[in-house]
Amino acid sequence: MHLALLDYRATLRERKTWLAAAMLVYAVLAIPILLERPPAHVREAIAAWFGDADPFAVFMFVWIDLVMNKVVAFIPVLLASGVLLRERDTGVLALLAAKPISMPRYFVLRTLSVCAVMLTLYAATQLLAALWFPGRVAGFRPGTFLAAMSLHAFSAVFVTAFAATVIVAVGRRGAGVLVALMLVGLLVGLALVGFYQPAWYTATLANPLTLGALAMRDLAGPRPATLIPPMLALVGMTAVTIAIGARFARRVEA
Amino acid sequence: MSDDSAAITVRDLGKRFGAVQAVEGLSLSVEPGEIFGFMGHNGAGKTTTLRMLLGLTRPTSGGATVLGHDIVGDTLAVRRVSGYLPASYALPPDMSAREFLRYIAAMFAIPRDTAAERAEALLRRFGLTAAADRKLRGFSTGMTQKVGLAQALINEPRVLFLDEPTSGLDPLGRHELLEHLRELSRERGVTIVFSSHILSDVETLCRRVAALHHARLIACGEIAALKREHGVATMDELYLSLVRRQAA
Repeated sequence: MHLALLDYRATLRERKTWLAAAMLVYAVLAIPILLERPPAHVREAIAAWFGDADPFAVFMFVWIDLVMNKVVAFIPVLLASGVLLRERDTGVLALLAAKPISMPRYFVLRTLSVCAVMLTLYAATQLLAALWFPGRVAGFRPGTFLAAMSLHAFSAVFVTAFAATVIVAVGRRGAGVLVALMLVGLLVGLALVGFYQPAWYTATLANPLTLGALAMRDLAGPRPATLIPPMLALVGMTAVTIAIGARFARRVEA
Repeated sequence: MSDDSAAITVRDLGKRFGAVQAVEGLSLSVEPGEIFGFMGHNGAGKTTTLRMLLGLTRPTSGGATVLGHDIVGDTLAVRRVSGYLPASYALPPDMSAREFLRYIAAMFAIPRDTAAERAEALLRRFGLTAAADRKLRGFSTGMTQKVGLAQALINEPRVLFLDEPTSGLDPLGRHELLEHLRELSRERGVTIVFSSHILSDVETLCRRVAALHHARLIACGEIAALKREHGVATMDELYLSLVRRQAA
């Protein structure tokens, strides 16, 4: 536990974490300004998919799909790219591998640490947004916003674990990052298909990014019954993904 | 001495990487508290042997024990009682020396207070106190090697594996390191396996050596006895004599 805490602190201080934080702050500050007058076709699309063109619904669609889903497609991969393979490639693993901790266990520890960093960045972003958006976003409802984003945070954590697993499974850092970006990009691209193609809705529930956006269906005021099942499903998916990654980590040699 | 009382016992140890035989039929034992030298050319099998002893590379034949722990079946127990400084490594650039030592201590599950005390003691011992909170990315080769050795000592190991520890050090740094190692062996009874192709360092530090040549053990014993046996005065002459005899 103490090792996990030290690892979390060390990861928080890395340059890439600060880069990610800067990107998120920019998103929070810029989006309300950019979306003061959303284009007509965006309004029409939202009205067609969600039944009305409530400005808050429009904003939530933009925030979840166009901002946070894109963030989730990039920042977790950036953070996870350092798990084991960067340490191997730079030579740090030559020291760490000789300690009394197995490679699968070390992978789990490092992955949980980057997941915690992702969650920290994510939560700080949503809290900053909840302070910045009222008065700048028409009809903004902080409670509903935070409830919806707390579900989406679980998908951000899943993607971080998924990226770490894909990268360690590929075994080469550059190629692993590219494959992870492609796969996560695919999940993000298909995340909201079920919202405007109802026939595909059930199938899209297998997509963790869809589960993370389910609060979009209940923006009148997300209830625990809407939020908790997908949260539990995402926790399960994350645990299974990390377990698979730990199996691949056995192949990593210092 | 019998194998039962040895700190390290190696029996017919071998490692093959595809078509390449990296180590073949290696058998030897190291006494508790002794500084044992491994000498040989680059690629002779020294590093592979050390990695096998720490469970970092799985042997393809034979086996070994470190303080009674099997290197394959009980790898984590071997690592718990060992310190290791590899020939080639890097330190995490975004951590400070103090943070890194505490991180390594946490990998051994050493309690926080004890870890902090040991880290401070090691920083003092290696003259790193003033630089303890600086990021490791700016450390010189000598300072990096000191942090490397400090991390190998944080768990107060009973066996220390050092792979080319003096390479890259200036004469003063080398002298200090060798003094530290002597002190560890003399005062704390730490068993040290010292691998180097700098033969003068091996001679300065070790009483017994093993010479590896093309993956095979070509000699093992007390340096003085080996010199007498081969009728030579220096380590360089001894090594050349061993290699020439092997080639003949």
